[in-house]
Amino acid sequence: MRSMISAERRRTLSPVTLTVVLVVLTTLAGCGPVKVVVDGNFPPPLITPLPVTLGLWYGDDFSKHEFFDEAKGRKESSWIVTTGAAQVEMWDSLLAGMFTKVVHLKNKPGPDQNLTAVDAVLIPHVEELQYTIPAHTSIKVYEIWMRYSFELVTPKGEPIAQWTMTSYGKTPTAFLQSDQEAVNLAAVMALRDAGANFADHFTDVPGIREWLQAKGVVSERATR
Amino acid sequence: MNFHSLRKILLCVGISLTSACVTSTVNEMVFNEPIEGIGDSSVVILGRRHASDYETEPDFVACVSDHIAAGDKSITLIDELEFLNALYPWFEPRTAPLRPVDIERMLDRKVVAEKLKALKLEYIIWLDGSTVRSGGSGSMACSLGGCFGFGTWSHDADYEATIWDFTDQVTVGHVNAATSGQSYMPAVIIPIPIIAPVQGTACDGIGEQLLEFLSSGY
Repeated sequence: MRSMISAERRRTLSPVTLTVVLVVLTTLAGCGPVKVVVDGNFPPPLITPLPVTLGLWYGDDFSKHEFFDEAKGRKESSWIVTTGAAQVEMWDSLLAGMFTKVVHLKNKPGPDQNLTAVDAVLIPHVEELQYTIPAHTSIKVYEIWMRYSFELVTPKGEPIAQWTMTSYGKTPTAFLQSDQEAVNLAAVMALRDAGANFADHFTDVPGIREWLQAKGVVSERATR
Repeated sequence: MNFHSLRKILLCVGISLTSACVTSTVNEMVFNEPIEGIGDSSVVILGRRHASDYETEPDFVACVSDHIAAGDKSITLIDELEFLNALYPWFEPRTAPLRPVDIERMLDRKVVAEKLKALKLEYIIWLDGSTVRSGGSGSMACSLGGCFGFGTWSHDADYEATIWDFTDQVTVGHVNAATSGQSYMPAVIIPIPIIAPVQGTACDGIGEQLLEFLSSGY
């Protein structure tokens, strides 16, 4: 009987009521934060791979990385920028091209691990992310800035090197481009920049240079 | 006068009325022009993206490429994004060569040298600049009955193209285009935008000079 009444009510829902419901839902939706799930294509690097088997471990802080910026006033919007999936995609592509073999690890390396198949393990972290949109500044570009920290450890978790690196991406305003699209594009540029910075300077990092020399690996940079 | 001719005249009058004026200055300095054209070699046009307060618009780079491609179909132009992806990460803003002498350092990487050889790259043309809105005035009020008022604003575009001879690793030319124009939007019930094609004029100015440099037919 109850289901029959509901069905009858559903049938008698007028277009006016429907419109009001839609307007209310739309208004409420407009109150939420602006969400951007970063999405882009990341090409493989054009680089001679180092003869190293690299273990790779992504913590949840990295693979599910999300940035939340709460609105500071009524005129501003809160922002959620999710970079985790794009980070994994970019770093997978970059590292697969930089080293002869990359092995994804299920657990963080430690003394109890027996990872004989890898020479070293890289653990990346996103320490900080900042963004600006033209509403925040007087210039007509959208910007993303990220700070990474990296740990390169032995298969048993002993440190080889630890270093930080920044990356930056920006994109100009364009006709019919939303803030979300522009922030996404700036984040993709920042990720590409991170890859460029890493690829260009990896063998210069103190600790890594010595480790590679000890392994008898000579990089193209060292031969110049 | 038939209907077809009348329609053409009306179209011309319509375009003239809805286009605002643009002032343009193009300066060119080139040497070592390829007299016979560039043959089966290729050219890439890239936007400079180093400055912190502006960025060369990708659509401006595409516009100049399209202008050259439309003017001489025998010129092999490599798409900007295709080139950046094929040579990733060596032409990103952080790693891109700033001077022609930096090309030699880049070619020390064997895989990069092989890729560039395969692309038969002869010229890299860097475009640097942007279009900015430089001022505006007027007011407009809109209601259910329509819009009433008048608005005006101006745009300035300033771009420079620098041509690098990739084989000789030297700069062989500079083309500069500075344009400005005032756009208007009168509104009597319906707003009618009369847009000054500032960026498009700069694109045509630079594109035409580059076409003269690269094409044997010009």
